[in-house]
Amino acid sequence: MSESKRKIIEMLAQGKISADDAYRLLCAVDAGEVQEGREREDTGKKSAEVKGKPKYLRVTVTPGEGHADPENADRVNVRIPMSLVRAGIKLTSLIPPEALDKANSALKEKGINFDVRNIKQDDIEELIEALGDMQVDVESARGDNVKVFVE
Amino acid sequence: MNYPPMLMHVKVKNRKTDFGLWLPLFLLFPLALVVLLVLSPLILVGILVLLALGQGRWVAWGLRCLWMAIVSSWALKGLEVDVQGRDEVVQISIV
Repeated sequence: MSESKRKIIEMLAQGKISADDAYRLLCAVDAGEVQEGREREDTGKKSAEVKGKPKYLRVTVTPGEGHADPENADRVNVRIPMSLVRAGIKLTSLIPPEALDKANSALKEKGINFDVRNIKQDDIEELIEALGDMQVDVESARGDNVKVFVE
Repeated sequence: MNYPPMLMHVKVKNRKTDFGLWLPLFLLFPLALVVLLVLSPLILVGILVLLALGQGRWVAWGLRCLWMAIVSSWALKGLEVDVQGRDEVVQISIV
């Protein structure tokens, strides 16, 4: 039971408000809660939509806490638009079939049974959308932090 | 609407060099279009020769390459590369 409802019932018990007033107030509180729930649902949907459409792939390398010389450490910050990633993946359509056969056989030699020719446009879109949940966080032996994520 | 990249900023700084360059891409695109228009008769002749020789797949491949080059350059907007070393800095940003 919410705090508002409890107060209304207490006021009714103390005789401060009538039963009709209490009923009207409880209805108002219920309506407010329903509205609040819907708003929360909408916000959730919107954030899921935003999350589902990643804009940039980020790669950062920064010196971590354990780095011996953080002031002179290398720093990398790369921001790649997802449209460029998409265009890059589409470039695979330009690879001649002979080269794809070679790639397939090389993959097979490594024990990966995957046909590169099976990658379709829908799969690419699905893959890029799924990247939204990806986050790679690596701390190297030198103390560098490598992060790969999507924003 | 997705606009094409307008400017490219390149900055390279090390012990010997220190330069920054703002490249107006919005001026290069019309230039590329003019070059393409000037070369279009030659391209057309090349296409016709290849089709006559029965090499139509290379025509399709070339056109696809051209299209992908346009799409890729369009998609470059927002690219940022920032590498900072001990004595050197390389920054590339396309806006």
